[in-house]
Amino acid sequence: MPTSTYLSNPTVTINSVDVTDQCSSANLTRVIEALESTSFGKTARVYVGGLENSTLTLTMYNSFAAAETYATLAALVGSSTNITIKPTSSATSATNPLSTLTGCYLETLPIVNAALGALDTIDITFTGGVYSVATS
Amino acid sequence: MIYTIASTKLGIIGDPYLPAAGINVAALLSGGFIVEQSTPKPKKPAKTSTEPNEEI
Repeated sequence: MPTSTYLSNPTVTINSVDVTDQCSSANLTRVIEALESTSFGKTARVYVGGLENSTLTLTMYNSFAAAETYATLAALVGSSTNITIKPTSSATSATNPLSTLTGCYLETLPIVNAALGALDTIDITFTGGVYSVATS
Repeated sequence: MIYTIASTKLGIIGDPYLPAAGINVAALLSGGFIVEQSTPKPKKPAKTSTEPNEEI
């Protein structure tokens, strides 16, 4: 069976700001909530699609320098914005699709996650919004 | 309101910034990524004639 090697090196923007150089992990999951529609006479549970509730979780290096992590995220807590993520920095194409969550919500922002001798990293999760994908 | 890019994280510094739908402009302003560019007020026209009862 053929396989391909894929080196994870995505580009990420939050609220149009390129945060690629502050990210070390990204996990975009498209979720359509399952609504159970099992009825009498069925022998297995069945579901129909409900509302979309996708999530993007990022691990970011924390930085309070100008135009870095804190400056990007501080005013977004409790509000909605757009995020984009692309597998590589190459041009958007069918093999390098640009995924967008429009109107996703940032509920929490860790301010400090410090440990002696370690870089300060934070995990943030954007929830909801409308998922779309562009291939050109 | 016209905005200008103030950080390379957003684009070329000095270029005008047109926010797409859904972009949180207030967060970009508070983070220093864009700045407001106020539209210049039109200059008052210069006086070209004196008032009839104005002392010279």
